[in-house]
Amino acid sequence: MKSKLRRYDTLIFFLFISPWIIGFSLFFLVPFGTSVFYAFTDARLPGAANYNFVGLSNFVDMFNNPIFSKSLGNTAYFVIIGVPIVTVGMLLLAMLLNMNVKGIALYRTFYYLPTLVPIVATVIIWRLVFNSEFGILNAGLSVFGIGKIDWMGSEGLIKPVIILLQIWISGSGVLIFLAALKNVPKHLYEAVLIDGANKVQSFFRVTLPMISPSILFVVIIQTMYNFQMFTEALLLTKGGPNYAAYTFVYNIYKSAFTDLKFSMAMTQSIFLFALISLVTFVLMKLSKRFVYYEGEK
Amino acid sequence: MTTSNRRVMKQTGKYVLLTAALVLFAGPLVWMLSTMLKTKAETYKVPPTLLPESLNFEAFNRLFDVQPLMWRWIQNSFAISALVVLGAVLSSSIVAYGFSRFTTKYKDRLFPIVLMTLMIPPSILMIPSYVLFTKLHWVDTWLPLIVPAWLGGAYYIFLFRQFFMTIPQELDEATYLDGGNRWTVFTRVIMPLSKPIVVTTVIFAFVNSWLDFLGPFLYIKSNSMFTLSVGLQLLIGQTSQDFPALAAGAFISIVPIGLLFLFAQRYIVEGVVLTGSKG
Repeated sequence: MKSKLRRYDTLIFFLFISPWIIGFSLFFLVPFGTSVFYAFTDARLPGAANYNFVGLSNFVDMFNNPIFSKSLGNTAYFVIIGVPIVTVGMLLLAMLLNMNVKGIALYRTFYYLPTLVPIVATVIIWRLVFNSEFGILNAGLSVFGIGKIDWMGSEGLIKPVIILLQIWISGSGVLIFLAALKNVPKHLYEAVLIDGANKVQSFFRVTLPMISPSILFVVIIQTMYNFQMFTEALLLTKGGPNYAAYTFVYNIYKSAFTDLKFSMAMTQSIFLFALISLVTFVLMKLSKRFVYYEGEK
Repeated sequence: MTTSNRRVMKQTGKYVLLTAALVLFAGPLVWMLSTMLKTKAETYKVPPTLLPESLNFEAFNRLFDVQPLMWRWIQNSFAISALVVLGAVLSSSIVAYGFSRFTTKYKDRLFPIVLMTLMIPPSILMIPSYVLFTKLHWVDTWLPLIVPAWLGGAYYIFLFRQFFMTIPQELDEATYLDGGNRWTVFTRVIMPLSKPIVVTTVIFAFVNSWLDFLGPFLYIKSNSMFTLSVGLQLLIGQTSQDFPALAAGAFISIVPIGLLFLFAQRYIVEGVVLTGSKG
């Protein structure tokens, strides 16, 4: 009798979670399976009826494509150089906003605003600010005797400009750090102060270890975000100039919608998934040495 | 130097730092507002004027003249966001109830999968999802933007579940004794106590949907079906040299979120800290 009741309750459980089961199957399992399947075919269009199995040749072609290497290099730049810069920037901003002064709440609001600006509007604003002829930035720099800089048209500058844009919209990471900083117990600072530590030492001995779980969290989110960098590159310069902002996901998009090679786009997607999984795994493993969890002996 | 002098210096230093950073963060937004209120001719001045010589709202007229679909796009964005919000609240709360109140081994096996889907990079599913939506004949409709929200978004399931876990089980049991079943507990006990998390979900789902660019950009082809974001992207191509009109377009797309932030700042901040998402 009791087990029958239990089985009935399990059925009710599945009824309650059925929307998720349908959504998960339809929008995760099916696309995932589709991409693995397509990666081994030469299907060019979605829903193509005629295709052949081509084994691993998509993977071979992918590595032989010079644009693929270029896009991989660009994305590596964002992950290896961009992530540390943006993370340190967020932490510095959080410390700035953690200061105990009057009116700090208002300052915090203003720093967070850019994060809520739709990305297309962000791009419009950046084009206005960074415009080499009529933008406010070059006008401001000219006061210091710096000549016109072609921010969007220079191969060397477009990636730093995109990293700067990420800092401008970094409000969420700043909020996470801000919450972490507030949770550091005051008595720890007093303890190292008694030991004769100065501000810098107390930052490295108390603040950093105490907020290390948040740092790991932000680094992982930022890493995943930068691996998937696409919209900014598309809207700012269409991946240019001369492929300088041609990111990995931009390449996936082009393979599918410009080259009309969906099987190649799927192959690249699978490669990206493997790459992100690997890097996240390594980050988690490495973090065990650096991250301090309270209550852990 | 006396200690009180030093304190004043320190305070001043803090404000200088804060204000310098503020210029960098609020500056671009101010520049947008300033550009929006200038005449077209004024924006071509070298060196540029910091603030408009006179307030001028012509840019908005030009914007709606150049792109008669502007109103349509604004309405589309609101309609899609409303449907997404409704779906997120209804479906995620039901699923979250399942994941918080039942004792079955399947619950403990499936919930980690819900969390795992949060970690899957969405862009790897971009192309295969497009294939799926093509086969379903959903391309160039709003369905790819709306239906996923009605089928249990993982973020919101997580948010609701965390909240439901804090509601004492004793309340459920009292209702069972009164002859209630699972559904009455959900609708009469759990949901009436869950207003704060409903509000959070409404805000987050709205912000998410309003900010989404990639979805509508990939799946919607007809101009009249565009959301405001995708429409603005079209506009950049159409009037790339009419800076005030572009700034006006950007401004319009910011206003709804800006107003929401004004009234619901506390909820947004709490949600971000909890999940690490902007929405």
